[in-house]
Amino acid sequence: MPEHPGAVALEVTRTVFQGIDLAGKSLFYVVSTAVILVFLYGWYRRVDKYRQGRPAGRGATFWRAVRGKADVGPAGRRDTRTVGTLAASSTIARRDTSAGIAHFFIFWGFIVAFVATVILTIDHDIVGPVSNALFGHTDSFFHGPFFVVYSLTVDTFGFAFLVALVSMAVRRGIRRPFKLGYGRAQNPDQGYSRGRYVAGDWVFLGLLIAILVTAYLLTGARILSQGDPWFTALTPFGRTVAEIYSGLGMTPAAAATVHTYLWWVHAALALAFVAYIPYSKAMHILVDGVNLLASDRRATRDLPGPVPGADHAGYQQISDFTWKELLDLDACTKCGRCHDVCPARTAGAPLSPRDLILDLRQWVDTAEHGITLLDRESRPDATGPLAPAGEVPIAGGVIPAATLWACTTCMACVDICPVGVEHVPLIVELRRSLVEEGQMDPTLQTAMKNLATQGNSFGKSARMRARWTKGLDFTVTDARKEPVTYLWYVGDYASFDDRLQENSRLLARLLHDAGVSFGILYEDEWNSGNDVRRAGEEGLYEMLAEHNIAALAAAGFQEIFTTDPHTLNTLRNEYPARGASYTVWHYTELLAHLLDTGALPVRPLGRTVTYHDPCYLARYNEVVQAPRRILTALGCELVEMPRNRANTFCCGAGGGRIWMDDSMLTERPSENRIREAALLDVGYFVVSCPKDMTMYSDAAKTTGNDATLTVLDITRLVDEALVRPAPSVGAMDVLT
Amino acid sequence: MRIVVPMKAVPDLVEEIEITADGTGIDREYLKFVLNEWDDQALEEALLVKEATGAEVVALGLGSDPDIDASLYTAIAKGADRAVRLTGAGEVPDTATRARAVAGYLRDHPADLVITGVQAPDDLDGQLPATLGALLGHPHVSVVVSVALVTDPPEPPAVRVRQEFAGGRAAELVVDLPAVIGLQAARQAPRYAPISRIRQVMAAGGIEQVDPGLAPGSATGASGLAVRRMHAPEKTSHAQMLTGSADEVAGQIVDLLRSRGLVKG
Ligand code: SF4
Ligand code: SF4
Repeated sequence: MPEHPGAVALEVTRTVFQGIDLAGKSLFYVVSTAVILVFLYGWYRRVDKYRQGRPAGRGATFWRAVRGKADVGPAGRRDTRTVGTLAASSTIARRDTSAGIAHFFIFWGFIVAFVATVILTIDHDIVGPVSNALFGHTDSFFHGPFFVVYSLTVDTFGFAFLVALVSMAVRRGIRRPFKLGYGRAQNPDQGYSRGRYVAGDWVFLGLLIAILVTAYLLTGARILSQGDPWFTALTPFGRTVAEIYSGLGMTPAAAATVHTYLWWVHAALALAFVAYIPYSKAMHILVDGVNLLASDRRATRDLPGPVPGADHAGYQQISDFTWKELLDLDACTKCGRCHDVCPARTAGAPLSPRDLILDLRQWVDTAEHGITLLDRESRPDATGPLAPAGEVPIAGGVIPAATLWACTTCMACVDICPVGVEHVPLIVELRRSLVEEGQMDPTLQTAMKNLATQGNSFGKSARMRARWTKGLDFTVTDARKEPVTYLWYVGDYASFDDRLQENSRLLARLLHDAGVSFGILYEDEWNSGNDVRRAGEEGLYEMLAEHNIAALAAAGFQEIFTTDPHTLNTLRNEYPARGASYTVWHYTELLAHLLDTGALPVRPLGRTVTYHDPCYLARYNEVVQAPRRILTALGCELVEMPRNRANTFCCGAGGGRIWMDDSMLTERPSENRIREAALLDVGYFVVSCPKDMTMYSDAAKTTGNDATLTVLDITRLVDEALVRPAPSVGAMDVLT
Repeated sequence: MRIVVPMKAVPDLVEEIEITADGTGIDREYLKFVLNEWDDQALEEALLVKEATGAEVVALGLGSDPDIDASLYTAIAKGADRAVRLTGAGEVPDTATRARAVAGYLRDHPADLVITGVQAPDDLDGQLPATLGALLGHPHVSVVVSVALVTDPPEPPAVRVRQEFAGGRAAELVVDLPAVIGLQAARQAPRYAPISRIRQVMAAGGIEQVDPGLAPGSATGASGLAVRRMHAPEKTSHAQMLTGSADEVAGQIVDLLRSRGLVKG
């Protein structure tokens, strides 16, 4: 951190070591060298840790990001980030504008301060001595217009930096948003303390604030001691301090003495900070940019396969992690955004994605004798992440099984994390280890066994899959025998759940009426495997996928549409990795298209409704417009819930949770969501996912809102609005 | 110690089971077969004994049981050391023939302990453990809920088993080995075998096929019983909804109870 510029009498410049004698200078250089060595050692230890990870395949992602190129998702949202994202602090500003602005100024303030120091070093320690050796006189570019621009930049950025830091301190210390609280979601039996985290936060903020404050005090003292030449007007904040000094009666001579003392205080603080970086949360300055630029949302949509060449499933040791995952663990700044949005945490489950990352970090640090000084949790007993290396397994020990099973894989954490941490693939890897050990809910086991024998989780005969079509007055085409335009991948819930079958028939009738050519796979459709995969049963997923891909290959169709967003995700994003790519739509996209083209003539319904975005549709696959287009076409007034589109709140059913016991929850996520909707003045809660239909119908009942809030599948609204051609009974009855 | 677990595949009860045209059996053609759940318990108990003693566990199935290979591979994936498929017992062997096939195998490949499911849902006759014990001349205990090797004194080798009865009573028996156990329930729920492990095991193959020849049995060769006719279960009850005001419903209930002779007056 440079001291702030001022000037010496005649030339437009300032002396770098003003008031510091040769002994002082020597001391400064010796200490600086030591600091750099301490810093480099810390950095080496960190990098050495990441190098233990296996390849992540993210090098290319990172370099593309550095070149400013992002990969774009299905509906235009970015899956990867660029240096622009980083430079604008935009991931931090997302849903927290003030924090984003503050971080923007801290980020640039820091960079300006850093560059300013480098410029000074180059001028004073390289250009000076070299020119002296070569030409016998000391050259410097640190004067004239260059100096003026330098002064103004450093002074204004420095001040913005300071204001931003203070605002962050106010936020953390006084405003105290929930997300900055460190209470754990899963409480260890013997208790824990995160006091050192708090200490680490304040040391970080405090050090930076102190460095900047001393910088201004120092600059003011120098300006005063030098008689305030004209160009100090271009150091407005430093000059203000000088004016305050003289207002308080300080003489230029006294200012010179004060300057010398302050110089040492400032230098000591700045050097201490540099040495401290790799050993503290300040590490994020170095790590998080890389992590963000190497992050890729696609890894959550299309999960990584088994670790190549491993003799065990999932993660059991540090070398099972990729370097990006090890970097993720250190990258977490404890900002708490994921903790805040996590439906499991909200529901009182023992899972917080933030704690998960912090615990894994702590576990790695325990095993590796990590170098973090503060910023760690303490416990009276060495349990979980603090247990000595090798004493407890990661999955089911370091991270309790109940924690891992609580995740709905809703992706809210990945979506909001400002530094590109990818929690979901990690959770799935750890679940794979649990599945390998058979540590799972009996109900989940039953579902898996049913899926393995009959291809559905309901424990019903595979041959009953198309039974729901029985009540129709036409036969749904068998796409295995007759080519169709659209293959309807119905999914387990819409096929087997008694409460949803009527809805499936409704959709079939609508499509039939609209003259759409569609068919189904009958008993050859098996569960797509989305939830199975996210529950960590990779082998079963492979088996289901192989079966389905073979069945699809044998059928004749052009495109696929699905009822279930989870199925959509896997068919669209995960089967391609197995060599099977299709165009996959959600039924809301198809319905919206049919309404747009007039294939389904409708009259306006004039209802006031709210719409729930399914995680796997809105957040994973960015399908948010189609259902809204339908509602508009039906003449419904849509009142949005506060959490909508990519910020939707999970119903609690995903990632295999629907097969598990949820009695440990204090409030089911679906109930939380219904209460959110109940605050709006709407009569209908519109859904577009079969699981949502069951989850929310139940939740409306259990929260006592079923009398005022009707849970409806969007298909039903379309059906109600449909203008069916009047039966042609005779010319007399035909109206024009 | 060598533990053999004879297993049987039975129709998956989620299927719609149809009776054959001649009315003496079920149509097996399109049915999915799964492991008899009591045999799954027997395997689990055998694996628990293995974990405690290091015994060798052999899963045994009849080749004529549809889909039996899946159960045998699953057994290996769960921790059984070997799996054996027996041939030569006919198309649809009854329990007696099944017992003779297993006994034939055990005659050539003796086991210290046989643990099998106490019964199977397709016939519910519960005869396999007893018949096997008789054919082999070994002691037999059925309806067992735990098996543990007696380690003190080790001579002669024996297992301590627990039988549970109605009313919360239980008996603990010590049975000399070799013995046959009909297992009701294992000490813990059967473990889950990840599909990836089952698939690895399948890819490696490794089911041994043995034609043991049937052990001598009764004169007819089988149990001597013949199925004359099978019936789909009759609907034995149906719900009748009572509607109306509370008084009317109460009146209807009283009438019903009277008409069935359950209350007098
Ligand atoms: S995916 Fe959803 S439920 Fe799982 S940890 Fe992230 S926010 Fe929580
Ligand atoms: S994982 Fe990301 S969102 Fe969660 S606390 Fe850490 S930095 Fe914040």
